[in-house]
Amino acid sequence: MLEVLFIGLSVGSILLLVALGLAITYGAMGVINMAHGELVMIGAYVTVLSGIWLGANIFVAIPIAFIVTALLGLLIEHVVVRRLYGRLLDTLLATWGIAILIQQAVRLELALSFFGIHIQGLGPGLQNVSVPAILQGTFVIGGAEINRYRTFIIFVTAVLAFVTWLIMYRTAIGMQVRAIIRNPKMAAACGINVARINALTFAFGSGLAGIAGVMMSGFKTVFPDMGTSMVVDGFLVVVMGGVGSLLGSVLSAGILGEINGFVAAATNDILARAVVFGVVILIIILKPKGLFALKGR
Amino acid sequence: MSPTRRIEWGIYAAFIVLIMLAPLAMDPFWLNRVAKYLVYGMLGVAVALSWGYAGILNLGQGLFFGAGAYMLAMSLKLASTTSLRQGSDKPVPDFMLWNAEPGAPTELCCINKASFLWLPFQNQWFGVAMALILPVAIAAIIGTIVFRKRIAGVFVSIITLALVLLVRLVVIDAQPITNGFNGLTDLGWFKVAGFEFDPYVVQTYYLVAISLAIVLAGARLLVETRAGIILQAIRDDENRARCLGFDVPVYQTFFFAVSAAIAGFAGMLYVVVSEFASPTFMDLTFSITMVVWAAVGGRSSILGACIGAILINIISATVSETAGFAEAWKAIIGLIFVLVVLYLPRGLAGLAHDFVARVVTRKLPSSSRELRATNTSQLAE
Repeated sequence: MLEVLFIGLSVGSILLLVALGLAITYGAMGVINMAHGELVMIGAYVTVLSGIWLGANIFVAIPIAFIVTALLGLLIEHVVVRRLYGRLLDTLLATWGIAILIQQAVRLELALSFFGIHIQGLGPGLQNVSVPAILQGTFVIGGAEINRYRTFIIFVTAVLAFVTWLIMYRTAIGMQVRAIIRNPKMAAACGINVARINALTFAFGSGLAGIAGVMMSGFKTVFPDMGTSMVVDGFLVVVMGGVGSLLGSVLSAGILGEINGFVAAATNDILARAVVFGVVILIIILKPKGLFALKGR
Repeated sequence: MSPTRRIEWGIYAAFIVLIMLAPLAMDPFWLNRVAKYLVYGMLGVAVALSWGYAGILNLGQGLFFGAGAYMLAMSLKLASTTSLRQGSDKPVPDFMLWNAEPGAPTELCCINKASFLWLPFQNQWFGVAMALILPVAIAAIIGTIVFRKRIAGVFVSIITLALVLLVRLVVIDAQPITNGFNGLTDLGWFKVAGFEFDPYVVQTYYLVAISLAIVLAGARLLVETRAGIILQAIRDDENRARCLGFDVPVYQTFFFAVSAAIAGFAGMLYVVVSEFASPTFMDLTFSITMVVWAAVGGRSSILGACIGAILINIISATVSETAGFAEAWKAIIGLIFVLVVLYLPRGLAGLAHDFVARVVTRKLPSSSRELRATNTSQLAE
């Protein structure tokens, strides 16, 4: 029982890890970033590459991945997303195009494979990351075997959620972001530089995706297509929680994680995912604005 | 008929003549391929109807396509020679016997718990009917619930997206009756009045081409009816239409169901042409790819979306066969897509439309001048 609860918690925290960045970009900016999963994938590849080329472990990869994906996010915002504010479904489609581009960039080793140059760690194949010894194996609490790496994921997710909360609710920039969520035009009229704040928000959300990628790399094999299913899961969490609500995302990730854990223990993983999709559909139908939607004006 | 409208129907006619003449220039291998792309073109029509005209971005169109495909594939599976040679008097799918528990009966009724579901599919026309009925029924149920609750925009997209993934997982999980990941392969041929539609003969191509022509013209006529015009009014401003007294959810559900029927029909034809049905039809990637075709061709043009689908597939088949370009082509598609969304939101059809409009107005000034002249002369009298 305790084991199942723990597995559910760890699944939930993985969901939240991926969803956190999305919650910020979707909630704050009204941008559905379908390339978010690919940013997670880039984070995972940063871990692979920094392991191969720098001999660095997962802990070192976290800040590198954050910086790399945040910069990439900044680029995406400047080149594409900036032109599409207010066109929600178009951002979905355009970022889907970007997602394909990023996937192929990794597969083609940044187009260098055409010139016969190969970068170790990139390309269409599968990559593996070895987890540091401290995070391997299990420990026992109350008769339940607890996986160390999953515990680490839960810990990192908790820290990131807390940091995000601090930035959003305890800093000047966070207050500006929240003002933009409420009413972008009014915020602009009050002298907030909306374009700049949006760019920063997008970069921060992308950076969170990068960290999520580092955590995923120790958990699953790394390959160019890994992002697609993640972005879907992330979306379901964000939409179910309610746009613009950090608390909603945290709770819905927890709920979906536990449902997944229990159904998987009772039946199998495939059915567990199906049940999660079913629950999300039901909740959107019952509460179209999500569990914790902001009150309208 | 206004000149623009006449030109538009002229383009439809030209396109239909073109696909009818295609067999003159192609070998059976390419003909089979193009038939598949025409089926994709039909999916383009379905997307244009629901997205362009009803304003519903369905990210789960693959659900309807897959439902249509599986329903006919179940019938054709039972018609295959391997199913007939399984040692029982009635045909039985081979995979069911491979997966059966030792000592299980070999009759379709009771090999496993749900295998009786296959019984009615012994009649091919049941499969054909279900390929249309099932998608429409699913669409009607979802549509009624979603549109009555006034769920709109991205939330509809998320619901359809979650639904298609849910069904995909259920199909995969129901391995004993659906053959799971592997899908239904090794199918028999579609038969009408003793004629077998071998996928590589010209008759099969015409089956698809004529179907597409009917779907195209039908969809175009449908959006010109009163209901179609009301639907576009709803897309442009839902509240206004509601205040004018129209029952908004009924129109939305109706067109959603029509779009589902077209997608289901396309799935059915795809099985005839390609001889398999698989859960990949219900992958998210495939559903979004359909949207990409429609966007590039022109989301609010039925023919545009159709041509977009056919064109992208023909080009990608040609390009990706050039060594080394298979992956690069995908990247180019991604790039095209970003550019189309940014700079060409109405797609290729938008370009064509502007061009036609310019040609027509260049002709028009002279005639309108005459008109004004007669008007003033009438006033003078």
